[in-house]
Amino acid sequence: MLDVVIKLIEVSFWSGAAALGFGILFNIPKNSILTVFLLGASAGFIKFLLIHFNIHVVLSSFTAASFVGIIGVPLAHKIHQPPVVFSIPPVIPMIPGYFAYETVLSIMNFTFMVDSPEKRLQLVDVIFTNGFTMVFVLLALTVGVALPMLLMKKNTVKKLDN
Amino acid sequence: MDESSKLIKTADLLLDISSLLMVSGANTSRINVTIDRFASVLNIKASSFISHKTIVMTLLDEKANLSRTRVKNIPPYTINFTIISAISKASWTAIDEQWSLEKINEEINRIKILEKYPRWLILIAVSLAGAGFCNIFNGDYLNMLVAFVSTFIGLYIFQETHKFKYNLYIRIFLGSFVSSSVASIAVIYSLGANPQTALATSILFLVPGVPLINSFTDLMDSNILNGLVRFTTGFMIVLAMTIGLFLAMYLFQINLR
Repeated sequence: MLDVVIKLIEVSFWSGAAALGFGILFNIPKNSILTVFLLGASAGFIKFLLIHFNIHVVLSSFTAASFVGIIGVPLAHKIHQPPVVFSIPPVIPMIPGYFAYETVLSIMNFTFMVDSPEKRLQLVDVIFTNGFTMVFVLLALTVGVALPMLLMKKNTVKKLDN
Repeated sequence: MDESSKLIKTADLLLDISSLLMVSGANTSRINVTIDRFASVLNIKASSFISHKTIVMTLLDEKANLSRTRVKNIPPYTINFTIISAISKASWTAIDEQWSLEKINEEINRIKILEKYPRWLILIAVSLAGAGFCNIFNGDYLNMLVAFVSTFIGLYIFQETHKFKYNLYIRIFLGSFVSSSVASIAVIYSLGANPQTALATSILFLVPGVPLINSFTDLMDSNILNGLVRFTTGFMIVLAMTIGLFLAMYLFQINLR
C-alpha cells in the first residue's frame, strides 16, 4: 500500500515538473509558475489514481483533463490571467507518448522488418490497439480541457456587455 | 491630426495587437474579444477577418461616419503566454480607466519587449520535463537521465537551426531525429530498466499541444477555417516528428521487445 502511495506521489511530482517545463517553453507569466506546477501534479495524480483502480486510460485522461479545465478557468479569473495559461501546460504531461511510440515502432516493423505471417498479424493488432488508444486519449485531452472553458465562457462575455 | 489618419492609426494599433495575440498562441475568439474591448474604449466599431497568415480589419467611426480598412501580415509564430496575459490585463485596465489611443500604444510597445525566460533555463526546464515524461511512462532514474540528455541535445539543435531560418517542419524533423538518435544509442546499450521509454519520451518536447488544443476550441466556436488550419499545422508537426523518430529507429534497427 505504502509503495503504491509513494509511486503515485512520485509520478504526480514529475507530471508537475513536465507541466512546468512546457510552461517555461511557452513563456508563462512568472506569477503563475506555482499554479501550473500544482495543476499539472494534481492532474497526474488523478489520472494515475484512476488507472490504479483499473479505469481505462482514455476515461482517466478525460477526467484529469476536465479537472484542469474546471479548476483552471475560475483560478485564472481569480489571479487575473487568461485561461489558456492554466489550461494548456498542465494537460501536456498526459499526452500518450508511449502509445504513439509503440504505434510507430510496430508500423516500422510491419513494413520493413518482419516477414512471417503470424508475427505480422500480431503487429496489426498492436498497431490498431495502440494507435486507436492514442487517438482517443488525444481526443479526451482536448475535449476534456476545452469543454469546461467553452461552457463557462458565457460569464466573461456577459461581463463585457455590462 | 484629422479623423481619417487617426482612424488609420487606430486600425494599425488594433492589427498590431491581434497579430501579437495570434503569434503568441491565443485562440481566435480571444482575439476577437480583446479587439472588441479595445475598440469599445476608443468608441469605434471593429470587424475583422483573422486567418493564419493575414488579418484584415475594418474600423467604423459612427460619429464621423468614416470607415477605414487595413491589412497586416502575421510574422512567424512563437508561443508566448506572458504576452497574452499582459494584453488581457491591459484590455481590462483600459476599460476601467478609459485609456486614450496613445496610452494603449505605449502599453503595447512595453508588452512587446517584455523579458523572456533565459535560454539556459528553457533548455534545462524542458529537459527536466522530458525526464518527467520518462518517469510517467515507468522509466527508472537512468532512463530519465537518458531522456534528459537527448531532449537537451534535440532542443539545442532545434533552437540553433532557428538562426539559419530553416523551414519549421525541417527543424522539427532535425530535432526529433537528433534526440531519438541519442536515445537509440542508449537502447542499443540497454541502459536502465526500460530503455525504450527514454526513446519514446525524448521527442515529446516537440509535441504541438498549443495548435491542437486551440484547434479544438476554434472549431467549437465555429471558427472552422482557423480550427482546420491549426489542426493541419499540428498534424504536420506530428508528421515531421514521426519521420525523424522513424529514421532514427530504422538506422539503429530498434525492434519490438
